Amino acid sequence: MATLPTNAQEAWRWTDLAALTSAAASPRGDAPAAESYWLGIPGPRIVFVDGVYALEHSTPGHVALSPLTLDTAHPLGAQASGAAGWSIDLSAAEIVDPVQIVHLATGAESHLPARLTLDEDAVAQVVETYVGTGWTNRLTQIDLERGARLMRSVRLLQSDGFVSIRDEAVVGEAASLITQFLGAGGMGSRIDAMLTLDGDSAFVDYGGALLTREQQRQECAVAVRHAALNGSSRQTWRAVAADRSQASLAARVEVARGAQKTDGEQSLRGLLLQRTATVNLKPELEIFADDVKCAHGATVGELDARALFYLRSRGVSEARAKALLTKAFVSDALDRIGDDTVREAFAADADTWLEASL
Amino acid sequence: MLNIENLHAEIDGKEILKGLSLSVNAGEVHAIMGPNGAGKSTLGYVLGGRPGYEVTQGSVTFAGEDLLEMDADARAAAGLFLGFQYPVEIPGVSNVQFLRESLNSQRRARDEKPLSGAEFLKLARAQADGLGMDMDMLKRPVNVGFSGGEKKRNEMVQMGILDPKLAILDETDSGLDIDALRVVGDGINRIMRRPDKGVILITHYQRLLDYVQPDFVHVLADGRIVRSGGKELAHELEREGYGAVAA
Repeated sequence: MATLPTNAQEAWRWTDLAALTSAAASPRGDAPAAESYWLGIPGPRIVFVDGVYALEHSTPGHVALSPLTLDTAHPLGAQASGAAGWSIDLSAAEIVDPVQIVHLATGAESHLPARLTLDEDAVAQVVETYVGTGWTNRLTQIDLERGARLMRSVRLLQSDGFVSIRDEAVVGEAASLITQFLGAGGMGSRIDAMLTLDGDSAFVDYGGALLTREQQRQECAVAVRHAALNGSSRQTWRAVAADRSQASLAARVEVARGAQKTDGEQSLRGLLLQRTATVNLKPELEIFADDVKCAHGATVGELDARALFYLRSRGVSEARAKALLTKAFVSDALDRIGDDTVREAFAADADTWLEASL
Repeated sequence: MLNIENLHAEIDGKEILKGLSLSVNAGEVHAIMGPNGAGKSTLGYVLGGRPGYEVTQGSVTFAGEDLLEMDADARAAAGLFLGFQYPVEIPGVSNVQFLRESLNSQRRARDEKPLSGAEFLKLARAQADGLGMDMDMLKRPVNVGFSGGEKKRNEMVQMGILDPKLAILDETDSGLDIDALRVVGDGINRIMRRPDKGVILITHYQRLLDYVQPDFVHVLADGRIVRSGGKELAHELEREGYGAVAA
């Protein structure tokens, strides 16, 4: 294993590196079946087992599979560069069926790079699902040309182990990058991103819901950089923490000198299901332009006791009332998924988590 | 139907109800009036089972069962409805979802079959129509952005759908203009004025009693019922004030 960051570094202070290293040291086992993770939408379906393309379970369509060397300075992302990976390369105005990718992990460590390049006005949708156990490390580089749109939904459902994701994106003029995450498995996680709005009127909507319980730790560490005029960004993150778990949301908005008329919105909210749980929030704004609008909100709290009693006074049981209120809290983030089938599947995964945790 | 005997209750160690007794039979409407701070809302919350209110003495039976032993949701399933003075806003949960969840939770608790989506919507539409509330409001999050009057109307729609045996309505008339007061009053009469149902109207003012005629009026002062009478007592209170009547 290459050198890992340490908790002494500010950007990694909340990362569960112990979970990562113990996942990496775990033995390989049998692969779980991918079948139950496919959503009822048309398009290519790809399975990776421990980061290796599983030909017999995949229909790659327009997705290419080849070694990818991606330039990155990121300490975890760099470990994925050079391996055999997957890529989508769309020409101008090309619109393709959604791609579903299931990452099955059986133990030890796996590293996989991906590159998504969308030329002018091209449109793509990607749904990724992580299941199994072990340390699953991913690097994804995204390049959106003028007017291109990428909709991406990622669910982390590994029962154990650790998932680390590094996204690096450059969003061009009037292009849109929309990505929502759901962390509803038992693994530790780190969702790490550097997203640059590089063209006039670029748009980024990047957020999700992290649900943690027992001793689990999940986090996001996302930086959105406005480098051009008229960009808008939305970061909506929700964390729900039970037992002695820890969920951490670190989100940064940077507005470069000259990126006037930027409209940045950031909403980080945590919900503690027990007082033994921890939610860390770290909203950061770094603004070097003077004509910008950046709204941000960060709160941590418990379920509203008045709302709980109101529901119970109407006949709803305590567990069900808590589940309804928690679901409503999480839906702020998951409702931002545009595709009905995907949104409903993610909501069902969140429900499963809630039913087991309340 | 409801029998309260010598009820003492406190919150945060402060005694609010100090030996309250009251009996409500099926077919009766009781009004409980009293000055601010007398314990009117506390009575509603204690009967509804709100956490934080501790009963230190006395008993409450409802339909022959010990009400104080039941959780709030079990009380609702047994047929008790608490109309809130300040209905709570619940962002992210639609009225329809809230009501269907409530009704079907109660039905399951009573071993009745839950209503399907279509059956429920038909029922909800009928009740909303009866209270002049349009279906769009039912699709909105519970009470979020509703005016005071709309919230109270929504309480009545809930009562109509849940069809309780006993309704305890806490200051249901506050925040209502005169037209809304009539709509809400008509709703209470239509839903609850039946030989098998009972109502406790908790109110500071007599004006709701112009629309919902009580069979009994009680004056609550300092945690106890200090006087009881017929509906003429409400007029006496209005005329002479609580100070004179409760003294």
